[in-house]
Amino acid sequence: MVCFIFILLRISPGDPSLKFVSPELNPGLAQKIKESFGLNKPIAEQFIQFISNIFTGNFGVSYEFRKPVAGVIKNYLYFTFVFSLISFIIQITISYFLALLSVKKINGIVDRFLNKTSLVLYAIPSFVLGVFLIFIFSEKLKLLPASGLMSYDSESLSGSARITDYFLHMILPVITLSLGGIAVFYKYLRDNLDEVFNKPFVLNSYGYGLSKKEITKKHIIPNAISPLISIAGVELGILFSGALITEVIFGLPGMGRLTVNAILSRDYPLVVGCTFISGVLIIISNLLADLLKAEIDKRLIAGMIN
Amino acid sequence: MKKVISNRVFLFSVLILILVFRFEYIINSFLLLFYFIKLFFTDYSIAAGQCTLNLFDCFLSAILIIILPAVIVIYRKSLRFLNSGVSFSSITIIILFILYVFAPLITTSHPEFQKNINVTKLLPPLSSVDQIHSLKNHDALGTYFSLKQKVIKNSFDDNLLFADSIKKDSVLSYFQKGQRYSLLISGADHSEGDFKISRKHFLLGTDEFGRDIFSRLVYGARISITIGILSVLITFILGSLLGFFAGFTGGILDSSLNRLSEMFLSFPVIFLIILIIALFGNSIVSIIIVLGFSGWMGLFKIVRGEIITLKEKDYFLTAKLLGVGNFKLIFSEMLPVISAPVIVNLIFQFGNVILAESALSYLGLGTGGIYPSWGGMIESGQSYITHAWWMILFPGLALFFTLFMTNSLGNRIKIVFNPRVKK
Repeated sequence: MVCFIFILLRISPGDPSLKFVSPELNPGLAQKIKESFGLNKPIAEQFIQFISNIFTGNFGVSYEFRKPVAGVIKNYLYFTFVFSLISFIIQITISYFLALLSVKKINGIVDRFLNKTSLVLYAIPSFVLGVFLIFIFSEKLKLLPASGLMSYDSESLSGSARITDYFLHMILPVITLSLGGIAVFYKYLRDNLDEVFNKPFVLNSYGYGLSKKEITKKHIIPNAISPLISIAGVELGILFSGALITEVIFGLPGMGRLTVNAILSRDYPLVVGCTFISGVLIIISNLLADLLKAEIDKRLIAGMIN
Repeated sequence: MKKVISNRVFLFSVLILILVFRFEYIINSFLLLFYFIKLFFTDYSIAAGQCTLNLFDCFLSAILIIILPAVIVIYRKSLRFLNSGVSFSSITIIILFILYVFAPLITTSHPEFQKNINVTKLLPPLSSVDQIHSLKNHDALGTYFSLKQKVIKNSFDDNLLFADSIKKDSVLSYFQKGQRYSLLISGADHSEGDFKISRKHFLLGTDEFGRDIFSRLVYGARISITIGILSVLITFILGSLLGFFAGFTGGILDSSLNRLSEMFLSFPVIFLIILIIALFGNSIVSIIIVLGFSGWMGLFKIVRGEIITLKEKDYFLTAKLLGVGNFKLIFSEMLPVISAPVIVNLIFQFGNVILAESALSYLGLGTGGIYPSWGGMIESGQSYITHAWWMILFPGLALFFTLFMTNSLGNRIKIVFNPRVKK
């Protein structure tokens, strides 16, 4: 994937050195900048250097920030990590409880209401939702701040007040990011639970005299949850690589915005670094999901050994 | 279940409504078509220079508005899919179809039309301003051109003025934000010609440049649907062909294509799309191609999986051993099985493409700069969120209804094709 990005970047029109100095103005300086970026060497040599750099974890120096790429990404990654983890936990817990609630009586009022709501929520694009939330909560009600991570006077605030400030700024982004995910997880989990409820072994368990609560807890949830985990893994990976739209709406310093800005300003080392990091994060979260699945369903390990 | 009006009645009544309300415009379109054909035979070179997309768009919609109701009435027996009762998604489909085909008939102004911005900018929905139409140039032109000026909506019109209020005595005076201007009416000396005064209504308000949001919404629907259909077509061709070859032949081609698709799936597609569009420019063609290419993995996996499982099915092996030719094997044994999941996938892909296109426009990378686009409208509305809620509400709703429609349509088709899922 990273190689693909590299090839794509180098065959594309446009020269990053043009951003800093025009060759018509000062050809010598332009040449110097090109040399300092390593852009004047032959493509093959650039490629070999590039691959060897990646394996040593050295992505070079960002053209835009004038800092090592790893350092730049580290700053942004911290925020993205916290942000997406909070949103992910909220998505999973809320959808889990809602699904349990609606499964209590399939096709009851609660179930039908939640089903309809989840379909509606799923269809709202995140930027529409985010802009509406800003409109309602920060323009009309003046309750929550509209954008950014902290207030302008954040420096002067004391410890606890500053945490509250962060918290207030995070509410709207987290809601925007989570609602769509809640809808997806809820629908998926509810359908799975429903399907498992109709399986013959459930009837059998009733026949043994087990209570509904016990059956749900011990037999149905573990069966229904394992397909969800792989989806959750993919979702977590995508969240880690940056909730681009949400970050743009609320002006948050996350990986998604960093990647897009790097792409737009032709900051090649930064683009490659961001791509690499998000690829790694996605692979890690998929791996975690697989491990968790194997932990729940021991048959998978047995299948692997055979 | 209670009897509700069917889709046919709904579509028919909407068409008739358009026909009645825009009757004069339709007649003008036909006259224009007549003069255009006449011009085509008398003066070929001028007529050839007149061939623009707008003109044919207008002709086509005027012809279709007559033909379509007739077709609906005459072929009511064979058009079975219109017989079912209206539902939310079918209404959305019909409305989108009408917006797509009859955009020139529905809108009253060009989506980029702006004049006298200080009067028209940021008007709330259902507001209207006075409009002065100068008629001085009309008689100088031939019948064809004066008709064309009436029918084809331009992004610029020299003979039109918007004003807050108009007073008519010896001179025609109009007010723009408190400033008073005057025009001489014909009959007086230094006449500036005749003026037609009317009111211009903005159904859904105007944006920051005084452009009519309703007509931007309608033309934005056109752009979104065109991009959606064309990219889904690319996805369909690419995904099904690759998936078919991978599944049918197997071997090294299969495994390498499979690895490739997994590689693409391991990376959020939106970044790849942004990367390619940022590098190669954001013309409408490149957006269609990029969005089309970005969706092939899902379809590839489905087609490949279906064909691999199909190859081991008994009935397929029987047909093969009976000596059925490859061609017939593909068309009569394979296609019916794989078409259902492919159709469902393509419908969801259509929604995804529309969402992706508007997200790109929202980020300023889509077609928003060149053509009106829902995402671009929301993006520009965000800066005026404090005093112009209509700028984001209507494109947001349009986007929501379209996506909701594709989702529910996809789910419903999935249920129709898969009898095991109970509703």
